[in-house]
Amino acid sequence: MHHTTTAGVSTCSAALRSLHRERRFQSAGMSTGGSDSTVDKPADRAAEEEEGPIQAESTMPSVELPRKRKGEVEERSDTRVQQSLNFNLEDDLSRSEGEDQQVKMKCFREPHRQIEKRRRDKMNNLIDELSAMIPACQPRARKLDKLTVLRKAVQHLKALKAGASGAFADAKHKPSILPHDDLRHLLLRAADGFLLVVRCDRAKILFISESVSKILNFSKLELTGQSLFDFIHPKDIHKVKEQFSSSEMLPQQRLVDASTGLQVQAEAPVRPSHLATGARRSFFCRMKHSRVTGKHEGKHSLPAASKKKETYRYCTLHCTGYMRTWPSGQLDPEGDAADKETPSLNCLVTVCRLHPNVSHQPPKDVNVKATEFVTRCAIDGKFTFVDQQATTVIGYLPQEVLGTSCYEYFHQDDLQHMAGKHRQVLRSKEKIETQCYKFRTKHGSYVTLQSQWFSFTNPWTKEVEFIVSSNRVISGPGHTKDESEAGSSKSTQDEAQQLPDIPGLSTGVGTMIYAGSIGTQIANELSDTYRANSSPSSGASSPFGSVQEKCLLTSRSTPSREEEAGSSSTSQSQADSSKEAAESSGAPESRGDLSQLDLDVPGLSSFSSDEAAMAVIMSLLETDVNMSQSGDFEDLHWPF
Amino acid sequence: SVRAHLDKPSVIRLTLSYIRLQTLLKVHEKRNSLSGLDPLDENSMYLKILEGFLMVLSTLGDMIFLSDNVSKYMGLSQTELMGHNIFEYTHPCDHEEIRHNLRLTAGWCVLNQKRDFVVRIKSALTHRGRVGNLKSTTWKVLHCQGRVKLCAASSSVSCVLLTCRPLPLSHTLLSTHTFTSQHSMDMRFTYCDQRVTSLLGYRPEELLGRSIYDLCHTLDTSCLNKNHLNLCLKSQSVSGRYRMLVRSGGYVWVESHSAVIPGVQPSRSRPRPNPSQPLCILCVTYILSQKQQLPDVKIFKAFILKLLFSILKFQTNPMCNIALDEKVIYGQKKQLPDVKIFKAFILKLLLFSILKFQSNPMCNSALDENVK
Repeated sequence: MHHTTTAGVSTCSAALRSLHRERRFQSAGMSTGGSDSTVDKPADRAAEEEEGPIQAESTMPSVELPRKRKGEVEERSDTRVQQSLNFNLEDDLSRSEGEDQQVKMKCFREPHRQIEKRRRDKMNNLIDELSAMIPACQPRARKLDKLTVLRKAVQHLKALKAGASGAFADAKHKPSILPHDDLRHLLLRAADGFLLVVRCDRAKILFISESVSKILNFSKLELTGQSLFDFIHPKDIHKVKEQFSSSEMLPQQRLVDASTGLQVQAEAPVRPSHLATGARRSFFCRMKHSRVTGKHEGKHSLPAASKKKETYRYCTLHCTGYMRTWPSGQLDPEGDAADKETPSLNCLVTVCRLHPNVSHQPPKDVNVKATEFVTRCAIDGKFTFVDQQATTVIGYLPQEVLGTSCYEYFHQDDLQHMAGKHRQVLRSKEKIETQCYKFRTKHGSYVTLQSQWFSFTNPWTKEVEFIVSSNRVISGPGHTKDESEAGSSKSTQDEAQQLPDIPGLSTGVGTMIYAGSIGTQIANELSDTYRANSSPSSGASSPFGSVQEKCLLTSRSTPSREEEAGSSSTSQSQADSSKEAAESSGAPESRGDLSQLDLDVPGLSSFSSDEAAMAVIMSLLETDVNMSQSGDFEDLHWPF
Repeated sequence: SVRAHLDKPSVIRLTLSYIRLQTLLKVHEKRNSLSGLDPLDENSMYLKILEGFLMVLSTLGDMIFLSDNVSKYMGLSQTELMGHNIFEYTHPCDHEEIRHNLRLTAGWCVLNQKRDFVVRIKSALTHRGRVGNLKSTTWKVLHCQGRVKLCAASSSVSCVLLTCRPLPLSHTLLSTHTFTSQHSMDMRFTYCDQRVTSLLGYRPEELLGRSIYDLCHTLDTSCLNKNHLNLCLKSQSVSGRYRMLVRSGGYVWVESHSAVIPGVQPSRSRPRPNPSQPLCILCVTYILSQKQQLPDVKIFKAFILKLLFSILKFQTNPMCNIALDEKVIYGQKKQLPDVKIFKAFILKLLLFSILKFQSNPMCNSALDENVK
């Protein structure tokens, strides 16, 4: 590739040279070159000889090239096109080309041909593309020759240049391909942000760019000179204040070199002057944005609409920038007299970009009864996350079901079906739909749900970590028995062979406890496929004796935490079994020892009745109070 | 004046780019410069602050335009790159993702037009930041954010505007609203700094060994998954917003910037990354919002207060009827010794429930490790 170095040989002439060469090649194959190397301009030779081994076209020159000025190209190409008919030039070209060929031929013969061909093809492609872009070239039926294309291109560029008024008039700035306004326009479109310069001491906005109107719906004029804190979410004011402060006032500030993970101590003697350009800041904050778009013209704005109280919503912005010191007089001419005394002003210069995600949604209207909720289970079916909306459907609070196996809530008729789906989802990467099944609510009735299960695999370990279930209510607890029976009988028909052999699976109290082990067993199967050694068996052989006395509770609507603890403490393949173990050991705690009780009270989310609230308290009390004296809880009634 | 050292295809490349760009810009009206700052200053300041460069990509991946500071980040100048195709410079495994982000979405929904992804790109810069030979390129991770700019006239002119920032930023100023954590490669916590306690309520010891997926809202699983994948493949990631559960219930919106680093022991001297050391993930998590609480909570709290007053009238044996029935027999003169304790317990319980209330799906409730 020719590095054109001198004024004499322009880039466009180089283009012509190649065209010329191509014509020659087409006629005579590989040209053996023309005359000898009497080159007029020594610079040419230097340029060509230094080429040495041919670099393929696609290789970029490793020297950084200075930026090109479009204006120059046009001028030169203009003159050169006119001179193309100049015979002298052509001679010169052919001569230098000849030398070129000789040099090349000496080093490479075969590869050179291919390289040349590639270069030619690329050139042709580019010129074709160019002809496609230029309006003048398009209507032609036949393909234009390259020279014409180039000529048209020059004309087009000139026209564009004329259109972009005054873009290149500014000679003192470094030339750039794009006029500054356009660049800014592009930048702001891409980044969805605005430039913000704020005084550190008073948080006064010294400068804000025009684009803020697009993002926050406030005009630039409204904001300039205002205090930044007026526009920031009240809870974030502290955060932003922190960013303004100098290092010495913020002892807990640390810098982390993110590439090595080390904490870098800021230099010990940090004086305000060290806040010169370079101290970076990066933070998120929420700023007001007005819903009312358009101008705020003061008194004479629209009558009806402006009567309404202007509601503010907040959008999250990512602000990155740095601290900078400026002489105060220059920036803030409206400053008080006190300002004059400070020689320099610390400012925070940031670019605030709208956070890519949607701005905060208002909290969902909780009065609407939720018919869908999300849960997450470990691989054995134990709940690890329950949406707060679930309580309106199933009656249990999230706390009450966490750690319990989902099988305990399934109707007996659905167990087989659900177990089959459970197996399936653990082995599949897709979403699995269950059929309708019944889920036992707190009050003993059943709601019909239908779920979509999806197993999540840890990308690193490639093991299934948990199952996400989005559950939809098909019918409430009040529905007829027939429907639910019909549903469940359908499910028992398929996958009849998949129910693991659980001894003692029967109706009544025992079901609850044994059902929980189904999930465990399925999970164990999965673990076995991951690990060679078999995991310790659980479930059927667990000492359920200790749980027997608590069975009474299971038939009631309040599943105490202990029974879950009892049934699960035996299983060893759970990540959260330690939690349950703590539970069961914590149960028979002496009543007097109240101070130990961690009053991290189970929360109550949206619930439909006060009963749910009391039930939680009840469950807490049960753990504390000695259960053996409990007597009969069936008599409990809740007047609230 | 500067004479360019350009070869012929480069000229045509640049010409093409220029024409395309002009066509693109013509579609939208140009704004007059109204800012106080000189537009040049503003632009250069903008780009400098952003710590990145601007890239305009056609739907086929041609880099129609790059801002001139691209040389600072990639070691290759604007003129060398403009007009070339981005697929020549990016990691092959990322091509699919790039293609996915370049496609024009149907419809005019604003959300669909946003793009946010991480790619690996060739950089001719050496580790010290000097421009090296293109042959000795390293991979640099770029975080690209931007939007699609549609041209109604012809879709071939439509393109994607992106700002590209190399990750990681070399220094992150930590404020009280961020915390750092280290994870093993499967995203289980191996270390967490103390600030997590004041921000989320967990003690660092509680988190060790737990997976970050447990700590976050289920609906954000896919967001975290993508983050994790980026880390495994590209070694850097910006997560986008997701919800992290607070210990006492509820959640906060957070964003994490993460990087894969060789496991380091904090030491005085500058460590050399030891390839034999296991990799770990370093996360800096920014808290974006305050705790979200449901409105019903207030109702519940009011209810509890009401309950408190009833408790004061509690007289009977707690074993019989804990429902604070108003029909409670007042006749029982002699109080069981446990009743007093029980009452105190109830009061304390309910008082605490008012003060820090919320359901936390992740934490076990009362029967916590504290309870022993």
